[in-house]
Amino acid sequence: MIDQETLDEVFAIAKRKREERRRFIKVASTAMIAAGGMSALAACNNNNDEDVTAPPVTPTPTPTSAFTAGDVDILNFALNLEYLEGSYYTAAALGASLNATLVSGTGTQGAVTGGRQVAFADRLVASYAREIAADENAHIGFLRQNLGSLAVAIPAINIDGGASGAFTAAARSSGVVPATGTFDPYANDDNFLLGAMLLSDVGVTAYKGSATLIASKTLLEAAAGILATESYHTGLIRSLLYRRGVPGTTIATAANDRQNAELISNARDTIDGNTTTAGPPAIFADDDQGVGPVTINGGTASNVVPTDSNGIVFGRTANQVLNIVYLNTNSRTAGSSGGGFFPSGLNGNIRASAATP
Amino acid sequence: MPAAPLRPCNVKGEDGMSEGQQLMEALESRVERRSERREFFKAALGVAAVTAGGFAFTSQAAAQTVTDNDILNFALNLEYLEANFYYLAVYGTPIPLTSTTGTGTQGVLNAAGARAVTFADPIIAEFAREIAADELAHVNVLRQALGTAAVAQPAMDLSVAPTSAFSTAARAAFDIPTTASFDPYANDLNFLYGAYIFEDVGVTAYKGASPLITSKAYLDVAAGILSVEAHHAGLIRTQIDLRGDEPGLKGATVRADTELVSNARDSLDGTTSDLDQGIAQSNPPTGLTSNIVPTDGNGLAFSRTTGQVLNIVYLTPQQRSAGGFFPQGVNGTIVKAAGDAVPAAA
Repeated sequence: MIDQETLDEVFAIAKRKREERRRFIKVASTAMIAAGGMSALAACNNNNDEDVTAPPVTPTPTPTSAFTAGDVDILNFALNLEYLEGSYYTAAALGASLNATLVSGTGTQGAVTGGRQVAFADRLVASYAREIAADENAHIGFLRQNLGSLAVAIPAINIDGGASGAFTAAARSSGVVPATGTFDPYANDDNFLLGAMLLSDVGVTAYKGSATLIASKTLLEAAAGILATESYHTGLIRSLLYRRGVPGTTIATAANDRQNAELISNARDTIDGNTTTAGPPAIFADDDQGVGPVTINGGTASNVVPTDSNGIVFGRTANQVLNIVYLNTNSRTAGSSGGGFFPSGLNGNIRASAATP
Repeated sequence: MPAAPLRPCNVKGEDGMSEGQQLMEALESRVERRSERREFFKAALGVAAVTAGGFAFTSQAAAQTVTDNDILNFALNLEYLEANFYYLAVYGTPIPLTSTTGTGTQGVLNAAGARAVTFADPIIAEFAREIAADELAHVNVLRQALGTAAVAQPAMDLSVAPTSAFSTAARAAFDIPTTASFDPYANDLNFLYGAYIFEDVGVTAYKGASPLITSKAYLDVAAGILSVEAHHAGLIRTQIDLRGDEPGLKGATVRADTELVSNARDSLDGTTSDLDQGIAQSNPPTGLTSNIVPTDGNGLAFSRTTGQVLNIVYLTPQQRSAGGFFPQGVNGTIVKAAGDAVPAAA
């Protein structure tokens, strides 16, 4: 693990992104003020372009939220998922845990179990891990700013790569490793990408599924922005898995990455407790897909984007997402409020998965 | 393949400048803008505090009489463009004619010189085939949602002549001679560049439109398409990045080229906006870091208004209603580019 000072430098990762925030201030501060006098973004109001070593956020708690109770619940639900993703990528890319200023809040603050820096063989894969880590940290900061004092604390999270870790449980249930095997997402580049796929697709479907439930238009556009970023991440990760699934291609050889991706996808299909629900668009039982190859118009094609027949990405309900992150293999018969990546459950009001989504 | 109609060279704008001149002026003004940005942000914060009544999109939303159908039709125009580009690149033919009918004027697709790319890398070919299928599916799902209100495919330019939209875009980004063409069908890298021109724009367009949509059903569809477009963009940008150290067409490297394209897009869509980023890496103390995702400091992808999107696909910084990839303009009610990049009097 690296020290706090080094960790802060993470946030200098993309100076241009920092510069972009100047523009965001213009847009967002207007919006947030209009949305009810929120001062959460005040922490960003720093005109010093040289503040590249400062963390991206210093939450300024507000006593009340401008958002409806339902929107607060959705934001906090998303924040839990970002805690998980942020912890995974920060560990894998930097060997660090989340900044202490990014984890406090309501509910029971939990510990993060496991996680370590990946010794990346491919410098480009390492560069992608660092970028995604920075984005996920920014998402945590952004959600916390908007929630103010209503933000939930980080719950207990298991990102351990050992035999008793959540990743191993997921890999065993999907057949990526045998029933007694261990899946360590920090062991090498390919394992890291498979671990990332496991989490990123869930994030995409969770944000997509919540789009129509958000009341605030300001929040909706912000959520669309996070959905887009998560989707870029997933496109990156899945396209790499597809390429690396073929021996002799540009960056590496890993003959079974594609097969592993399919296995993970099938496992998620099984455990998300999904049944076909009315649209639009209809959510099909097979709402999760590997990276291919598939056949389109008689030719070989990839399947980087998991879509329905309308070319539209799937959404998952909160319950389906919970079943996956809790690794709730018994979801069809029993609800659950913890397990898997979240041993004590999520913090916030959306936390108990249901047997029938 | 329809016969390629002649396209007038260097159409004069309302101020008498050619499109090329306008593009160059917009590019030059960008440099100036960057140096002014710090002052701008200081000023903008003050403005934000006193004009607290408005959301970022409220000026568009409040003034609009646009319906959900108008927005979906706007998106349909963009999908026609993307779907045909990928279909031409993969199959050498446009999308099926049955997917192009509707209200408004059905236009001619200028595909002169367009052809199936002879991909050297089979993986890129397989990605292209996937994306082509997704984009046609988007055309069809939007047409299905709109029913008889769906607009017809407008006139589009996906050709490779020196006066083509692709060449004009490349001229803006890479300053290629007026006699030179940019051919996105020539090889793997050119194809990726062609895709790169479109994909990020689609993402910003859907994100910008998201709060304007009132129907939950349409919003769900739009969110789903937004996500797919961002997957595509992430894929395309990653594949370019894997070749990022190779020499660029204009820049020192392929990565530098992407910054030039990004700058060109930014120059078209407005003076006060910086909504675009290439994939140039940074190298802070924590190590080499990619920039696959164009985001602001909060990790959010950018939004563009419909007018800003039209500035880019029309390849003009002005308030025009046609140009570039849509020589006769898009079909539907949302047809006018914003012209934020040039003063109204210009």
